[in-house]
Amino acid sequence: MKTSPAPASVYRTAEGLGLWEHRGNVAAVGIGHSPTFRRWDGTPENSVGGISLLALRRAMDDAGVNPADIDGLVMDPSTTTGAFWPRGKPLPWEAINAYNRTDEPLDGITGLSADWILANMPELTGIEFTMYGMGCMSNAIVVAAQAIGDGRARTCLVLKSWHNLEGRYYQGGANAGNAIPGSSAIRSLWGTPACFGTAVQFAEYCRKYGKSHDMMAPFIENSRQNGLKFPEGYWAQHRPEEITPEDYEAARWIAKPANLFDNDMPIMVSAAYLFTTAESARHLKQKPVYVLNHATSRTRPRSLTPTLDEVEADTARTARKIYEGAGITADDLSFENMYDGFALFHQFHIEGLGYRGLKFGEALDFYQTDISISGPNPVSPSGGNIGCGRSRFWMHTDCIQQIQQRAGARQVTGVKPEVAVSGGPMPVGGNYMVWSATPG
Amino acid sequence: MRRFVSKNGEGMKQGVDPDELTRPFWEAANEHRLVVQNCAACDRLQHPPARSCHRCGSGDALEWKEVSGRGRIYNYGVVHDCPIRLLQADQPFNVAVIMLNDDPGIQMYSHLPGTPVDDVPVGADVEVVFEATANGQKVPEWRVVAEAR
Amino acid sequence: MILISFDIDGTLEEGDPPGILSMDFVREAKILGHFVGSCSDRPISAQRAMWARHGIEVDFAVSKHMLAEVKSQFPADVYYHIGDREDLDKRPAEQAGFEFLWPNEAMERPWLSCWLAGPRSRA
Repeated sequence: MKTSPAPASVYRTAEGLGLWEHRGNVAAVGIGHSPTFRRWDGTPENSVGGISLLALRRAMDDAGVNPADIDGLVMDPSTTTGAFWPRGKPLPWEAINAYNRTDEPLDGITGLSADWILANMPELTGIEFTMYGMGCMSNAIVVAAQAIGDGRARTCLVLKSWHNLEGRYYQGGANAGNAIPGSSAIRSLWGTPACFGTAVQFAEYCRKYGKSHDMMAPFIENSRQNGLKFPEGYWAQHRPEEITPEDYEAARWIAKPANLFDNDMPIMVSAAYLFTTAESARHLKQKPVYVLNHATSRTRPRSLTPTLDEVEADTARTARKIYEGAGITADDLSFENMYDGFALFHQFHIEGLGYRGLKFGEALDFYQTDISISGPNPVSPSGGNIGCGRSRFWMHTDCIQQIQQRAGARQVTGVKPEVAVSGGPMPVGGNYMVWSATPG
Repeated sequence: MRRFVSKNGEGMKQGVDPDELTRPFWEAANEHRLVVQNCAACDRLQHPPARSCHRCGSGDALEWKEVSGRGRIYNYGVVHDCPIRLLQADQPFNVAVIMLNDDPGIQMYSHLPGTPVDDVPVGADVEVVFEATANGQKVPEWRVVAEAR
Repeated sequence: MILISFDIDGTLEEGDPPGILSMDFVREAKILGHFVGSCSDRPISAQRAMWARHGIEVDFAVSKHMLAEVKSQFPADVYYHIGDREDLDKRPAEQAGFEFLWPNEAMERPWLSCWLAGPRSRA
């Protein structure tokens, strides 16, 4: 079965589209997570293919759906967090041959095709629709929701997986060479790490609004505390370490004003969700969580990195799209789970949303108030990447679990979890989802 | 202990192998001229260079336009954990975002040679200079010429 | 007087990934009277918790960039940092005036290798 990236028509990128035509007609009903690992241990079962199979089967079990009833699969074929199989290193044939392989030997090891999944899940006998949502789960769930709404699938698995290999990222390849191609040199010659653009935006934010980096500490502390209550997360499973304000302020800079704990940590993990129609969802094991809208930003920055003005304009535009399509306002949000894969993204996201009435420049002051899961203004109850490791999907799992009232120790108690928004990754460029306890 | 003054002749950027898309930019740099891609149809600069205009989509109207080499520091970061091997010995160093006077929407990065680390005058005027990289290819760099406006 | 700074991940057996230096190795260094502590990317509170878990009273627990501060606080004849990374251990250690040792080199140093002959052999 040929699987293609979702066409542009799937995404709601424009303002003025009105209510989403499938508002309340699509629901998430199942969640499956693999265990987390810092790096691949070389075993077949812990390969990115192996953990994906586990996550998919868990999602079906969780929803109480018979695999034969699944007719759709949406996933991201890229699984790298920045790690690639080293050139010249012998291929891991034992792991490769432990599964039904495709023509690409590293399929299931450093990438993942729909063909590989289908070749290794013979129980999925009814698949008629496959599509790629590229980049992260935020993209894939948008594609799945639209596919269900459009009737292209009735019961659809959505998958996002990440592999991680030994070694430090970005230190080899072209970065270790003495010369690089002209096109990449225009950006890369200055040695900026991945967080640099965000660091500059944050520097401008602090200059413009008179804020300081240490004001981020309560957000970081809260995120890690929430993450430690997320049993599916890396830090809860492997290293239950809090990040205190002292820890945060003592951390080394990566690109000042972005420090080590403003950056997430790459891990191996896979998550799958089961989406279906609202009608089908009523008969399944878990309480349906309805999708009220999805929205997408495809804004291209004018030049090398978005300015603060560009960031603020786009987060505000994204919020208008989110609210318009869902038929809600900021006042309807029970909580938010916007992306934090650089922690310094988060204030841009929630100011754009106008979460709890925030205006631009106010989020860091807001962080000094009660933003915990037990208060009236929960911020990132999932803990996000800072709390759980780099996956870009904790926020979606958390929204579903919170609204289903099965977030365990992480369950929000200061608000009734009825409507929530999640998404990312970038403040300029991302996909967003509005979840609801009711169809609207 | 060494005094970290960013990129003041201490280190060397990676060399550049000009490719088809960017060759005019690099050739101009070797002649100490700063050129930026421009869409003649839109009369709009764009940088980094691309195969088509980001506004109108045309590839036919793209040209290279010489600009003044004057700009302003938008803001900056201090890089402490650099992925480029050749630059790691110079950590930490400044990287500033420069906005061109010809069009403030157009940015270039700079190590701000001569400017002490983390003592960057945000908003200050800068002018372009040209610095040799590891393979001799020159690259636009920027020096502070006046205090912040 | 000797000061020994230990990286954790990739250096100590407690690390992620585990290194070759055991907690007994650290404990013995402490018993021998050296200044001992950790210099790691782990949160400082987590470093302290790790040492407490192993019953080792360290003299310092700091972030990776703080070796110069350690040097200024503890008067010693020689300062060592033991780690597993060129860019995150060796370079900053040498910039801070520390002598750098890879974990396997540390095992071979006479001022610590005595522990291999049996705990407290020089105590």
